[in-house]
Amino acid sequence: MIDVTLTLNGTPRTVSVEPRETLSDLVRNRCDMTGTHVGCDHGACGACTVHLDGMPVRSCIVLAATCDGREVRTIEATRKDETFGVIRRHFHEKHALQCGFCTLGMLMMAADIIARHPTPSEDQIRNALSGQVCRCTGYMGIVAAIASAAEELRGA
Amino acid sequence: MKSANFEYLRPTSLPDALDAANDETTFLAGGQSLMAMLNLRVTSAETMIDLSRLSELRGVNETPDAVTLGALTTHAMIEDGAVPDPSGGLMPRIASKIAYRAVRNMGTIGGSLALADPAADWPCCLLALDATVLIEGATSREEAIEDFLQDAYTTTLEAGEIIRAIRIPRNTAPWGVYKVTRKSGAFADSLAICVLGDAPRIALTGTQSRAQRLRRAESALHGDLRAAILADLADADPDADAYKRRCHLATVLAAIKEAQS
Amino acid sequence: MHSETADRWIGKPLLRKEDARHLLGASQFVADLRLPHMQDVAFVRSASAHGRILSIDAGGAEPGTVWTLADLPTIHPLFAGPELGTFRNAVYPPLADGKVLFAGQPVAMCLGANRALAEDVASAVWVDVEELPPVIDAVNALAKGAARLHDDWPDNGFIHSVITGGDIASVADAPVRMRRRFKMNRQAANPLETRGVVAYRDHRTDELVVYTSTQGPHVMRHGLSIALGIPEHRLRVVAVDVGGGFGGKNRLMPEEIAMAALALSVDHPVRWIEDRNEHLIASVHAREHHYDLTVLAERDGTILGIEGSIHVDAGAYALWPSGPFMETSMAARNLPGSYRIQHLNIDTHTVATNKAPLGPYRGVARPGACFAIERLVDELAHELGIDPVEIRHRNLVGPTEMPYRTGGGLRLDNGDYPTALDKAVAMIDLPAVRARQAAGEPDGTRIGVGFACYTEQSGHGTVEWVKRKSRVVPGYETATIRMMPDGSAQVLVAIQSHGQGLETSLAQIAADGLGLTPAQIVVRHGDTSISPFGFGTFASRSIVFCGGAVTKAAAALAEKIRAVAAHLLQTTPDLITLRDGAAHGPQGSIPIPEIARAANIRPEALPEGMAPGLEATATYEPPESGGVFSYGVHAVVVAAHPETGVTRILDYVVVEDCGNLINPMIVDGQIIGGVAQGIGTALYEEIPYDETGQPIATTWGDYLMPCAPEIPSFRIGHMVTPATSTEHGVKGMGEGGAIAPPAAIANALTDAFRDIGAKFCETPMTPRRVSDAVALARGEE
Repeated sequence: MIDVTLTLNGTPRTVSVEPRETLSDLVRNRCDMTGTHVGCDHGACGACTVHLDGMPVRSCIVLAATCDGREVRTIEATRKDETFGVIRRHFHEKHALQCGFCTLGMLMMAADIIARHPTPSEDQIRNALSGQVCRCTGYMGIVAAIASAAEELRGA
Repeated sequence: MKSANFEYLRPTSLPDALDAANDETTFLAGGQSLMAMLNLRVTSAETMIDLSRLSELRGVNETPDAVTLGALTTHAMIEDGAVPDPSGGLMPRIASKIAYRAVRNMGTIGGSLALADPAADWPCCLLALDATVLIEGATSREEAIEDFLQDAYTTTLEAGEIIRAIRIPRNTAPWGVYKVTRKSGAFADSLAICVLGDAPRIALTGTQSRAQRLRRAESALHGDLRAAILADLADADPDADAYKRRCHLATVLAAIKEAQS
Repeated sequence: MHSETADRWIGKPLLRKEDARHLLGASQFVADLRLPHMQDVAFVRSASAHGRILSIDAGGAEPGTVWTLADLPTIHPLFAGPELGTFRNAVYPPLADGKVLFAGQPVAMCLGANRALAEDVASAVWVDVEELPPVIDAVNALAKGAARLHDDWPDNGFIHSVITGGDIASVADAPVRMRRRFKMNRQAANPLETRGVVAYRDHRTDELVVYTSTQGPHVMRHGLSIALGIPEHRLRVVAVDVGGGFGGKNRLMPEEIAMAALALSVDHPVRWIEDRNEHLIASVHAREHHYDLTVLAERDGTILGIEGSIHVDAGAYALWPSGPFMETSMAARNLPGSYRIQHLNIDTHTVATNKAPLGPYRGVARPGACFAIERLVDELAHELGIDPVEIRHRNLVGPTEMPYRTGGGLRLDNGDYPTALDKAVAMIDLPAVRARQAAGEPDGTRIGVGFACYTEQSGHGTVEWVKRKSRVVPGYETATIRMMPDGSAQVLVAIQSHGQGLETSLAQIAADGLGLTPAQIVVRHGDTSISPFGFGTFASRSIVFCGGAVTKAAAALAEKIRAVAAHLLQTTPDLITLRDGAAHGPQGSIPIPEIARAANIRPEALPEGMAPGLEATATYEPPESGGVFSYGVHAVVVAAHPETGVTRILDYVVVEDCGNLINPMIVDGQIIGGVAQGIGTALYEEIPYDETGQPIATTWGDYLMPCAPEIPSFRIGHMVTPATSTEHGVKGMGEGGAIAPPAAIANALTDAFRDIGAKFCETPMTPRRVSDAVALARGEE
């Protein structure tokens, strides 16, 4: 076992992991934060997306040990975040989720898209969502929610 | 699935990393291919050396003729213009279509070259740009990308050697790209890149072996291009079936067309 | 977004009650359960497609960490499939019993403190297998001399059945006979949440508790009870949040039985979370139909009959409860589609192969049948020089012919199919597409437009399932509504909502029935210990059956509320109406909470002789047991590159009629999601096997899931023809979206390359298949 010291959702903590464990293992199993979902375990579905040093990454293909000294943010830390609050509301209003399993990854990605593209076009949103699999919604509500959330956040 | 276990080392300097390395070492850069392969247990590691703390593999060096990018430069940094672009827009365009954004935030140009997946973008792009690979090991050495790439998943990297940086000559010539994937973000079935200029360079990947220059086509840009490409394809991807040949021919023609337009 | 005092909630696009927990990352899926001392399970799976197990070596594992069938308590065989003498059964053992019949079949299970450690144990287990020849192709599997999967069968056929309608001999001399072959390849449902089980013995209640990601907990409990020999009152099955199912979680799978058996054998909770690799090789597989059909027609395009054969590649075993024959018979019976085709003669073969067993996936059989008939119609149009829209008009069942009994024996209840087609043609702007097509694309791609009509049987009850010889006859649903002393209400149902928004739409129905708001109602589901018996969510049945049961239960409860109100208001119940949270009589009103309080905790206020309490349970089956038919037309414009074969969707229109809508927002969501899955079938998703029986697509790197760039924005046109035999005039519609896209897209590709006559007869239409079809038509290599 090795110790990983990182800032998880704003709190510094040291977590013991096996070297092979991924960031998703650390978050879900060592820290019992189950808001981050695992849909494939090989980096192809995007459900496990978290922010590492402010950037979305796939926590199932990021080694936990390499996150030593870095800052990790999961969906649990966004519950009171105002920007995420706006994005969530638009997801709700645009019927951007059905079963809810991919939703957390979509939200983590949505916040990044809006941060990088304050006025995202539909193509930009769709391209940035490539690799984020939603099996239920056909993406239309998700794309619409990100566009309208960006618009509201731009006005704010 | 979960990876089999391994020993993990995270050196903080290049000399330490080189000291720690041996024949059984697996190097971890961004890990975006390696971690998936480990998780699927299609590969395993005895000792993993995490390169992410090596400052020698980061940063940029600019000269009038070239830009040298540290091996740990991520696809996203290139996509976003966070590092200088020597290629006249070609590299950001290529970067923006590699896998997915969250993967591009972790994946590195050096890791991609070291793996040398025949369907990957950077070997082909850097071949078209005539880049040079800067390697550290028992000795430091430089190698032209053309010589560095040997075969599918095979380069001249010896056990214990690490890519430190990639030097890319500045390009101002027009270029074109055409990539065929089965869906967005998937590996290329065929990727052709054409860089014009005094000595045009055309590179193709998605082959059975490695990214290849298409030299006959390069010198036939104003001649019987189609025949030249077909002749090149017979060398570049000799085992290609009819579909792959059609596909390669189309991507090469489209890349040239874009470069010339 | 809507007034809380609205007097009708049905029909409103109410935002979903279930969203909040998901958006906060506070939902709970099976993998999120945390129980003390829980251990993880990894399955050892067969590497061979077909073989006899000679030995299983635990690889030096600690005692008690490797479990084979012999180590588990006795498990009784679960006979699956139709109750037909001609159906050969193939019981799927929870862990391999002597033979392995497909690569991926569970052979042993390994315990570890976490999944990685369990996999370490599993990777050391060595299964010595005597290899047998693999059977990979469903058509060749029936040839004389083919290797056999099941030693006691004479060949590899689960069942051979001829599905007929009308009299095909009467049209034998039809002036036009055209034969075509089609294939719809194999897929898996691929919900984003894979399967998963947590099981443990609850000593307090003396129950075996099985958390499993399922669409029907009550039916699964029944199956587990048979398999384990445990009475059902000592079994509790719970589906917590379920991350999508699409049919793939509606069979009792060997892993679920093995996990339950393991939990009986150890003294700690056990957990297995399927990974994507396991899902792709060993979950419920779907589709894989081969069609060889001849259409008989007049020269004016009037279709008289269809004859030919269907082979369904059913995999190695029969999945409980329904087995694989339903797929085959539905494919044949749905062949006439939306058309006036009265003569049908289809030789069907349900064939065992060395592949994962076949089961339901959104659309069940109909995506294949629709692909076949809609491609046939287009091919016939081209053969006869008739416009594809025109030939459809010549054959579509008209509104005045309804109800119409099809050649497949299905009773199309109502609707206006020709108008739906006209609407789709108008919405796609056919003249503009033709103009663009004529102008050509600067990048050399070809534009094509395609149409596909479909029907979707839904809400079918006892008669239909008995006709299918179903072992479990899901002919009804049950609902209990319980009003608490404060006037709020629980709706307890046996369906399982895993994305369909039933917590919202059932609350809308109950709210209207009780004069409450949806906010005053909670819908609880997915747990055998909280609701009466029912069958679950599948076959586009929940809104018809469960919605009907909720309506009936609400009506029964409302009757009692009115009786109490009449007593308190000194009037008669027939003069009381419930709305806005109160009971209104001619002379005054009384809040429902006051009635609820009286009924529950102040029985002295009740009329003499009235039993206290406010709870009602009702079952419901629609009177027309053959089902009601949603229908629609898809129109799509594609751009395809003739050499690379890459196909992009430029425009997609859906015209759809599912009767009255309970929640239009949710209905649109179901349509769009269904079409997206249909696009996956059409262009991307496939599980091929190589000649040794190894599955090729074992990760999502190989099995391509469409993402946002692959899926267009859709335009939906609604038509509303209320069902006459269901509560509220609803029809089920959950599957319809997935039925037509493969047909519509193939027809669009055919249109794009009509000048050279390229044929698109196999899904998915990958770049390779499209390019090859074009090259073949051009006479190239």
